Amino acid sequence: MSPFDKAWSPYAAGIVIGLLQIPAFLIIETALGASSSYVTVGAAIAGLVDPSLLKIDYAAKHVAANAKNLWQVALVVGVALGAFASMKLSGAVRAPVSPIWARALGSSSRSLRYVVAFAAGFLMLFGARIADGCTSGHGLSGMAQLSVGSTVAVAAMFAGGIATALLLLRRI
Amino acid sequence: MSSVAVGILSGVLMGIVFGFALEKSRVFEPGMIVGQMQLRNWIMLKVFLSAVATGAVVLAFLHGFGFVKLQPKAALYAADIVGGLILGAGIALAGACPGTTLAQIGVGYRDAIFTLLGGLAGAVAFTYAQPWLAKSLIGTGPKLIFTEMAGIPYWQGALALAAVIVVVLALIERARPWRDDLGADVDGDVAEKASQPRSRLAPAE
Repeated sequence: MSPFDKAWSPYAAGIVIGLLQIPAFLIIETALGASSSYVTVGAAIAGLVDPSLLKIDYAAKHVAANAKNLWQVALVVGVALGAFASMKLSGAVRAPVSPIWARALGSSSRSLRYVVAFAAGFLMLFGARIADGCTSGHGLSGMAQLSVGSTVAVAAMFAGGIATALLLLRRI
Repeated sequence: MSSVAVGILSGVLMGIVFGFALEKSRVFEPGMIVGQMQLRNWIMLKVFLSAVATGAVVLAFLHGFGFVKLQPKAALYAADIVGGLILGAGIALAGACPGTTLAQIGVGYRDAIFTLLGGLAGAVAFTYAQPWLAKSLIGTGPKLIFTEMAGIPYWQGALALAAVIVVVLALIERARPWRDDLGADVDGDVAEKASQPRSRLAPAE
């Protein structure tokens, strides 16, 4: 498990991720999560164009400059930095678009992939906000806390993901 | 609640560890996520369940000894099911989840920038719809956890969950060793092994 390896065992990586619950609970008094940061950043940007958005309680609650909101924005920024550092240390080189998409989408068009990615991001966050959590908040944190609602959400997430990948995407 | 500076600093540091582990496990690769959802690659489930089990053990101790309060989300079944299904569809088409999208951007996947922009748009669209959705679909509910329903202490249930996960992972690993799912370029692209020479590692334009 060296920082120069291209791949670690999924178990080692999973344990490292699970241990992050310790500082999350002790320092921020919250569980690991990622999707509310999209509301914090999205609503802050959209609020510049349409200030009335910030009158919605949900927006106001997420853009408030408190430790919990900014912690999660900092967390996802850190994720990008950490992934970049890991890639540089291992010398892995990535193509601008993963080679699986040409097969999954049945087309090597870069623009098609960008359109699908945008739509996918939209669905992902619209769904995550309805469910009040994503793979991190409901998945990692909710299931570890034995939350009933999170277990239902994770089951639905895999059901939706498996159905979509089998019906809409081609075999990769 | 700690100060804003502590929040930002600890967030960046924890995020770096998170992103590092996501990259090393390869679970951030679209090939791993789409492969998992097509039930032909098991790395995502292995990382996910290992992290859940570790979190459960950690919280069993932290909560059992009274250091922390649990922070479960409310059980809102209609919202959990509808939102979960939409989220899952998005994950399959993005080849990412909201957190790993940032890891993809970090390693230079250009389509992930569009996933991020779509995600921000989706979050804003939800915010506009939230006052209506809160009444019509989401509603309110109790912060229910399984051990409360069963009338046993949380730490017992958490350790039991971790034990079950260890057994499940051992069985999956026996059926499908994790190295078999990496692919030649550790991106989950297993099908590529036998195919044409790869010109795609040419430097990005």
